Amino acid sequence: MEKSRSELGQIIVGVARDPLGLMGLIIVGVIVFCAIFAYWIVPYDPIAMDIKSRLQGPSAAHLLGTDQLGRDTFSRVIAGGQVALKVALPAVFGAMAIGLTLGMIAGYGPKWLDNLLMLFFDTIRSFPTVMFALAVVALIGPSLQTVVFVVMATSIPTYGRVARTQTLTLRNSEFILAERSMGASMTRILGVHMLPNIIGVLAVLAAMDIPTVIALEAGLSFLGLGVKPPTPSWGALLKDGYSLIRQTPWLVVGGGLPIILATLGFTFLGESLRDVVDPKLRKQR
Amino acid sequence: MKIEWTNANIGRRRFLKGATALGAASALPMGWANRAFAAEDGVLRVRAYGDAQNMDPAHSVGVVEEEVHASIYNKLIQYKPGEEWGWQMDAATMIEQVDPTHIKFALRDDIGFTNGFGAMTAEDVKFSMERIVDDATDSPNKPDLGPFSHVDVTGEREGTIVLNSPFAPIWSIALPYITGNIVSKAAVEAAGGRIGADPVAESGPYLRDSWSPKEKTVLKRNPDWKGDAPAWDTVEIYPIDDENTAEIAFEAGELDVTRVSLGSVERYRAGVPNGGSLVEKPSLYYVWMGMNVEHPKLQNQKLRQAIQHAVDVPSILEAAYFGAAEPATGIIAPGLAGHRPSSLVPPQANFEKAAQLLAESGETNVTLTLDTLNKTTFTTTAQIIQATLAQIGITVEVNVLESGAFWASGDNENLQLVLNRFSMTPDPYYATSWFTPEQIGKWNWERFNSAEFNEIHETAAGETDVAKRAEMYQRAQDLMEESGAYRFITHEATPVVHSARVTPALRPDGLSLFRYFGKAT
Repeated sequence: MEKSRSELGQIIVGVARDPLGLMGLIIVGVIVFCAIFAYWIVPYDPIAMDIKSRLQGPSAAHLLGTDQLGRDTFSRVIAGGQVALKVALPAVFGAMAIGLTLGMIAGYGPKWLDNLLMLFFDTIRSFPTVMFALAVVALIGPSLQTVVFVVMATSIPTYGRVARTQTLTLRNSEFILAERSMGASMTRILGVHMLPNIIGVLAVLAAMDIPTVIALEAGLSFLGLGVKPPTPSWGALLKDGYSLIRQTPWLVVGGGLPIILATLGFTFLGESLRDVVDPKLRKQR
Repeated sequence: MKIEWTNANIGRRRFLKGATALGAASALPMGWANRAFAAEDGVLRVRAYGDAQNMDPAHSVGVVEEEVHASIYNKLIQYKPGEEWGWQMDAATMIEQVDPTHIKFALRDDIGFTNGFGAMTAEDVKFSMERIVDDATDSPNKPDLGPFSHVDVTGEREGTIVLNSPFAPIWSIALPYITGNIVSKAAVEAAGGRIGADPVAESGPYLRDSWSPKEKTVLKRNPDWKGDAPAWDTVEIYPIDDENTAEIAFEAGELDVTRVSLGSVERYRAGVPNGGSLVEKPSLYYVWMGMNVEHPKLQNQKLRQAIQHAVDVPSILEAAYFGAAEPATGIIAPGLAGHRPSSLVPPQANFEKAAQLLAESGETNVTLTLDTLNKTTFTTTAQIIQATLAQIGITVEVNVLESGAFWASGDNENLQLVLNRFSMTPDPYYATSWFTPEQIGKWNWERFNSAEFNEIHETAAGETDVAKRAEMYQRAQDLMEESGAYRFITHEATPVVHSARVTPALRPDGLSLFRYFGKAT
């Protein structure tokens, strides 16, 4: 336990020493903090309308102005972060958990099962993500759960393929052969010996995937097919802002800036994590 | 100089740093927004919201194509630009309704078709109208001609339009609009019966000179046109779907005329750039919230009436239409026969009355869905309805749908509340035709089923007494509102800006009639 804590500490120190990594850590930290404590941070109820105060510019009372319904844009940006993470985290980690399990089974199990699972992954991958998302939304209606489901379903193959490749590399390693010769069960081999060697790579992949998911949620909300009104979302802010850009450009700033920052933050962090977890890769660059 | 690409040290991290810096730099103001483009003297540059792709009036899909057709073809009569709906002579020198089912006409003798197809004759009028009602043509515009039967040709340039039954809208939506365009019989027959993306023979004051799909349509003056000469040598029509983009193009001097968004009206009222002007016209569109009377949750009329009284239309107009539109009193816009001066349910919400009606309905814990298109105007309206209905304890869940899914809602029996908007032509007959029992499962999404309404719709079309006809359509709208299935919201508005060098010729609903555009003196 002490060893793993020191490894985690080394990773954090490693990321913090890298300027891009530190920037990513700070941006992600701020976003996560705002999302967790949104209820206490927002100056106004993000869905409370005040039509008389609509389309105001930035002021001390409303840092990013107000939207067409007089709602405080800053409060909606903060609350929108909560929605973005509510979609991104369960979707990415759900996809990672399922992809990891299926990938390890494919890599370690019998050949027919490997073929079957690869066919399943390839079938899902063959659907363009946005078209798949639009089809699912048309079938079951737009909601937070729909977006999470779409993202999870389309991301599983990526994690599954990586986990399978790693498992195939490890399955004939001496320590695995030794475990097998001592009669260890498949669950023990996969869970105790292989998982710790695969999880790092997948964690890096997950960090890099979070901005993609945030952008997908924003994209669906931009098309009006993400979370339902009046729930605040960065994509919905961007959509309203685009329609009203000649009246109040601040809505576009409010919706666009957090998407840019989240994308940069998670990408910087993922890049840096990859370097720390796999120093060989860094030497090659 | 040899470039060693393999040694170029551009790693992923360096690329990320560079791209971030470049992105930040691109956000700096570059001072390009205020560039103005010089306009050529004889060229009128206008914006259309779509691309005119089809030159066959029988297959015209609406206003965008009609704006071009009205310039390159002639009709017996054309709409008159101005504030009130009316028509003026075009290809006809005489036109007269001799009895409720017969209209006599005589053509001018100086109109000819291009490409050597000769002078326009009564045979061309007969051919043009009869091919639209011919099932073989499969024209989507056939309903506009109502009970049209045929045209009797009585001379080279004389004839009589014959109707199966009286049809008042023939003067307002048939002859001066899409179905009134006269094409050359010889040219169309030579082309195999169908006109495609290129006109086969033109006769109007303009000829279509070129068409670059999704880029530009160019109309040039017809050298053989003997009527009043149009003021502009060339009309360039730019298809621009987005109003923000069109406004930027107008302000940069790239357009002379464009419709603008309602959100920009306030700004343009304060002043139009480059000495231009703003013209505010009413629109014929109608927007309403419908309730599916057959849905188990909405079968109670008192509940529907409670919802009618709980929706605050002024708040919707303020937030979603920027205060630039007026409340609707029904489906028939001001200026048309049958427009009601006021609705039965006032535009302002009356929460006390709504709560009282809800209590009388005996319904409790009401939760409903409200379907709407994924456009900001509609989602904004839906959220106001959601908030106002919450004040009487009705919970509304907003379903935002993309256009394909939304417009397929006609046969959706599970539809509950729906925010809707229909287009309109300048005759009340067109408005009531979508709410008849026959339209249930097609366009009558509320499943409003009134025998009296249906009878009014059928008889009013043949009523030639204008006052009586207006009274009938007013009663029809009363029936709609009394059913509780409709909460009328607005007819929107058509704000148009034009440059200082143009005198626009607009229909009363703000749509352009290019052939009548003038030059400012």
